[in-house]
Amino acid sequence: MSLHVLTQDVADSVLRRLLRKGGDFAELFAEDRRSLSLRLEDRQVEEVCTGVDRGASLRLIQGKTTYFGYTESLDVAAIEALADRLSAAGEGNEGTSCGLHVVSVDTRHPVLIPPSTVDVSRKADVVRLADETARSDRKEVRQVVASYSDSAQEVVVANSQGTFSRDERTRVVLSLTVAAERNGAVQSGRKTIAHHGGYELLEDAAVRRGAERAADAAVVMLDAGPSPARRMPVILAGGSGGVLFHEACGHGLEADFIAKGTSVWCDMLGEQVAPPFVQAYDDGIFTGGWGSATIDDEGTPCQRTTLIENGVLTSFLTDVLRSDRLGFELTGNGRRESFRHIPYPRMTNTYFGPGDVNREDLIADTANGLYARSIGGGQVDPATGDFVFGVSEGYMVESGKITAPVKGATLVGNSREVLRGLDAVCDDLELEAGMCGKEGQSVPVGSGQPTVRLRELTVGGTET
Amino acid sequence: MRTGAMDIAEDAMSLASGVSGEVEVFAESARTTAIKVYEGSVESLVSAEPQGVGVRVINCRRTGYAYTADLSRAGLEKVVESASANAEVGDSDEYVALPEPRGDYPEIGGLWRDGVSRLSAEEKISLALETERAALSVDEIETVEEAAYQDGEWRTALVSSTGISAFSESSFCYVYASAHASRAGSAQTGLGFCAGREPSELEPGTAGREAATKARSLLGAAPCPTGRYTVVFDRDVYAAVLSVLAQALSAEAVLRGRSALVGRLGHAIGDSQVDLLDDGLHPDGMATSPFDGEGVPHQRTQVISGGVLQAYLHGTYTARWEGRGAESTGNMRRGSYRSTPGVGATNLILASGSGSLEELIGRVGEGIYVSNLKGLHSGASSITGDFSVGVEGHLIEGGSLGRPVREVTLASDLISLISGVTDRGADSLWVPFYGSVLTPSVAVADVMISGE
Repeated sequence: MSLHVLTQDVADSVLRRLLRKGGDFAELFAEDRRSLSLRLEDRQVEEVCTGVDRGASLRLIQGKTTYFGYTESLDVAAIEALADRLSAAGEGNEGTSCGLHVVSVDTRHPVLIPPSTVDVSRKADVVRLADETARSDRKEVRQVVASYSDSAQEVVVANSQGTFSRDERTRVVLSLTVAAERNGAVQSGRKTIAHHGGYELLEDAAVRRGAERAADAAVVMLDAGPSPARRMPVILAGGSGGVLFHEACGHGLEADFIAKGTSVWCDMLGEQVAPPFVQAYDDGIFTGGWGSATIDDEGTPCQRTTLIENGVLTSFLTDVLRSDRLGFELTGNGRRESFRHIPYPRMTNTYFGPGDVNREDLIADTANGLYARSIGGGQVDPATGDFVFGVSEGYMVESGKITAPVKGATLVGNSREVLRGLDAVCDDLELEAGMCGKEGQSVPVGSGQPTVRLRELTVGGTET
Repeated sequence: MRTGAMDIAEDAMSLASGVSGEVEVFAESARTTAIKVYEGSVESLVSAEPQGVGVRVINCRRTGYAYTADLSRAGLEKVVESASANAEVGDSDEYVALPEPRGDYPEIGGLWRDGVSRLSAEEKISLALETERAALSVDEIETVEEAAYQDGEWRTALVSSTGISAFSESSFCYVYASAHASRAGSAQTGLGFCAGREPSELEPGTAGREAATKARSLLGAAPCPTGRYTVVFDRDVYAAVLSVLAQALSAEAVLRGRSALVGRLGHAIGDSQVDLLDDGLHPDGMATSPFDGEGVPHQRTQVISGGVLQAYLHGTYTARWEGRGAESTGNMRRGSYRSTPGVGATNLILASGSGSLEELIGRVGEGIYVSNLKGLHSGASSITGDFSVGVEGHLIEGGSLGRPVREVTLASDLISLISGVTDRGADSLWVPFYGSVLTPSVAVADVMISGE
């Protein structure tokens, strides 16, 4: 493929050109991404789209300033011209060879069936199967939107610290949204099936399970009453509840917020931030994880980083820039949406480690509260840790039993309080796939957790 | 290889002569600059020249799409071939079609101004630095998390086998700052911005001070009692409410039953003082251009008049589906060459009322002023109309601002937030963060707020 023109020698020459007038760090990131997406709505497969994204970006860091530019081309001459434009901003003498050495890491994410080898019509059949499954035996289902996409991304990264590495990331995702309607009221349910791997993910049984889950969530919420608004214990179900840790705690551990002093976790390394039975990880090598890769987008090998060990905060998530400035180890979290973007410290797959509490026992042990089966996403102010999350599928817990579904519930709180307020961690770890937005960039992330309970949290709702 | 957007579009079109069905080629070529400063020096300078081409083929009422950044002859041949092959896979849909030409496009002066390309990088940097300095000059502002200048020049061309040939160029720039205030362990952030078509229109000092003032005014905020309040939405915040309404106004959302406005056409959905316009031709709007994402001329569409829903927003596809004489309102929007066009609002304009924000708050007397909204994406649904978001602001007591409030949620529904409008200020401002919206601050009666 065309990326192969970017050999070690070519990369070294481009980096030297970029450092022509000096600089502390120079980097080349090139990408060739082939993608296919299709979408079903109103029982019809309507948009089939093929994309070719290719290009290269260069980054030059000099003092506190980052110069960055990209070209939508893999032409060596175009990349060299970009190097000349960016280096013109610098001042100093010609750089020497960067002494590139190959950083080679074996991929941990098997691709059994490369999506490019599967006929597009079979991919269309997958979204049709999801549609039929969601509609069968559920007369309330009014709409199913099923989106399939796959991508094969090849990257080359080289930098003036000597790194030269390649990676191939293959991702497959099926996203389902089901709308159900009764007496004019509409509710929706969602499910995403995704991994870093090949088309083998979408066996018929897996597609059916996903479609049933999304459809059941929509239908059950038709019976939902208004959520009460008060402080109460909250049980976050395994899987989707991990969004809360990702948003409320994970972002504040990304070292760019630490570097700027705008995270609630600044100066908290080594502190007890959660009860001793709490473990948390960012795991970029979780096999087949949606947020996994082999190297990050700066060529650093991915790893599993312990964020919280026995309740003690142990690590932040870094990229090259913040690792240099703050003196923290590289954790393989320098990620970017594409060659068009500057890398930032980003989570990969983030989750609480499993505890030893049985889920049924935990529910039975909860006199009254909210069971948040599915969290719709939310927003956090990293400076204060204040957050708000919507509960897209919630139930009341009464006398140790899950009872009526409730709608319109929101979880309002603060990230430090929520970690301290964890009072039980179950043994049923589950990860969900999602897209995380930051700095205008969207990257695939996994987030998850076993079922956990928060002693008390403000629940917002429409009923007083 | 020719390099202008129109050249690329025409070259790709010339390679599509053998393709069965209708063909549309969209090409864009842009130049953008983004500068971020931090603590008085440049943190990053990004210069980019994105360009590429997207091809839509409709064959036997089936749609295929493909895009590429590879503008070599081989790349263009491949993209045409892929789009054509993709048109074999989908299901046929009797309503898909490319629009026919409607004659001349409206003339809109001044969409492109040379200020963006004329200004040197150093001068752009100083605009960002000035924004940061202005924020830092305010008491209790500890840091400015982000201060930035961004601009772009966009050239887009669209040609089709139905005879459309359109070209547009525009420029846009803005500065913004996000300031971080702290006092005695309490910390808050606030955002300020200013946008224009060329840098000379920007007021970095005002944007920076606005960010600082907003952050500072919320210091010491705490929850307020749960109850029903009259809420004064700051124009920034009401723009977010209108952006959710915009999604529900899409004829595609309505026809697919994905809109809270299904069956509401011709009915009152707002107080009689609510007038809302979708205006793709307003010279100051960020979404303004002569034509939409499939080459249909932009227009002015009165969406709500006297509180009555007058129109949904249409593209060619939804107009054919709707039938009964419906026509595209020029509302097909396109994010980039990498995506197919979809129905969306252009510039949404809510008619203003009278007086400053202070006067509006004075007229309201008792209630809550909301200056910040959190969790819009997860908490607000244009499908169900449910609205449950976190808000921050101040209590309104005796006609003026009282103590700051945070960690409370606002629970309502979309229609109530429009129909409950009781008063509007005359402080309209273009808000570029949720599409493009021009709105005054607005008072809405009887809204549930959950606090302590």
